[in-house]
Amino acid sequence: MRLKLKTEGGFASFPGLQGPVEIDTEGLGEEEAAELVRRVRETRFFERPEGPGEPPPGAADLRLHVVTVEEGARSRTVRAYEPVEDPALRALIEALDAQAREIRRARRGRGPGGGPVGRPGGNVPP
Amino acid sequence: MNHAACRNPVFCLTPPYLLRRIARNGSPAQRETATRTLASDGTFRSLRQATPPSRAPDAGVRGVLEPEGRKRRTIFDVGNTQNLPGRVARTEGEGPSGDAAVDEAYDGLGATYDFFWEVYERDSIDDDGLPLNGHVHFGVDYANAFWDGERMVFGDGDGELFNRFTISLDVMGHELSHGVTQYESGLNYMGQPGALNEHLSDVYGSLVKQYLLGQTAEEADWLIGAGLLTENVDGVALRSMREPGTAFDDEVLGEDPQPAHMDDFVRTFEDNGGVHINSGIPNRAFYLAAAALGGNAWEVAGRIWNATAIDPRLKPDTGFRRFARLTARNAASLYGSGGREEDAVRGAWEGVGITP
Repeated sequence: MRLKLKTEGGFASFPGLQGPVEIDTEGLGEEEAAELVRRVRETRFFERPEGPGEPPPGAADLRLHVVTVEEGARSRTVRAYEPVEDPALRALIEALDAQAREIRRARRGRGPGGGPVGRPGGNVPP
Repeated sequence: MNHAACRNPVFCLTPPYLLRRIARNGSPAQRETATRTLASDGTFRSLRQATPPSRAPDAGVRGVLEPEGRKRRTIFDVGNTQNLPGRVARTEGEGPSGDAAVDEAYDGLGATYDFFWEVYERDSIDDDGLPLNGHVHFGVDYANAFWDGERMVFGDGDGELFNRFTISLDVMGHELSHGVTQYESGLNYMGQPGALNEHLSDVYGSLVKQYLLGQTAEEADWLIGAGLLTENVDGVALRSMREPGTAFDDEVLGEDPQPAHMDDFVRTFEDNGGVHINSGIPNRAFYLAAAALGGNAWEVAGRIWNATAIDPRLKPDTGFRRFARLTARNAASLYGSGGREEDAVRGAWEGVGITP
């Protein structure tokens, strides 16, 4: 299963933070991969509306999450504004966001002389 | 900048990222900007202690006989969940809670309320005493702040790239002002009207800080979110109104994408059509107008912009050019047609490639 998270907008909107971060469960440890797949199942991802729906009137600085899941021949993209009400979708986004942060952390550690620090299964475009 | 780690003031004023930045970009003006930013961020914290005590507690709904100009704040602690509203942590008139985010939100919303009331005689978000609800400790490591149409919500930041979002006064000013725009023009949060919506929040946010610190246009740092980025980041703030596109240049956050001129207007579908990007153009125009007029930015330039923000001719779909024209018209009606104020406003827009 391949997962992609993009995060747009927000008061602190930074080009380097919007991603997309891409995770291939094949590059993860068995437990970690199973955990992500479980989270996707819990959202009923391939059945849920694509969103994002209308944010409340007058709202501003809400981030928009764009989640794509590819599994076999299936692919679906779901969009959701914060705060994400559905706890299952929120948990999936938080899990992907945690992966994104780890990848970023590794990238920062890769500074001059620091040597390459990689993370299997994850990559952020330069 | 991390205040908790800030025991030595010399170290505070010259963190490593700033030294690197100065070494790279090295103009005296930038150096001065950076130093002033960091100094004023510390100033807010000391001013906070000196804020006069609030008026009598007032938890209820305002009656018809109650005076205008009385703020009613409630700060909620969301307890690092996303379950709004959270529990009440401090209400109007209560002393400090001891929780930095709660107290910064309380003081920041108070400073913003006072600014609108004392300078533009506006009584809260709706100009009718709407209670101010701030919600802190939203989410886990949450690196954002937003206005959801009813309330202001602030994350703690992730501690790696971002400090807590209440650390910078203009963040509270920015979010509260989205409420003002909602009740006034209702600028659509998309494309040019969206960038103007963002722009007005940056203008008010910066003016709240300038007013509290008593800074002239020349003295102000014109930064949005100074102090919000940690010392791990090569950057001074989220945005610069004086020099859009120069607030950060960091290996993780990327380069500040804001244009300062219509020639560099960014066409994108992301971020609601670049509302946080293209706001750099009107932001720069406001700075240019304030700099040309001199003195306190909230007094003349701010008054012209505020008159425009509440002008019925400002519609939800108004773009840059019509907004610019309205500022020029408001300058003329407030200070006389063809006066130096109108000239300064027209010159400022021309400086960013927009003919009002």
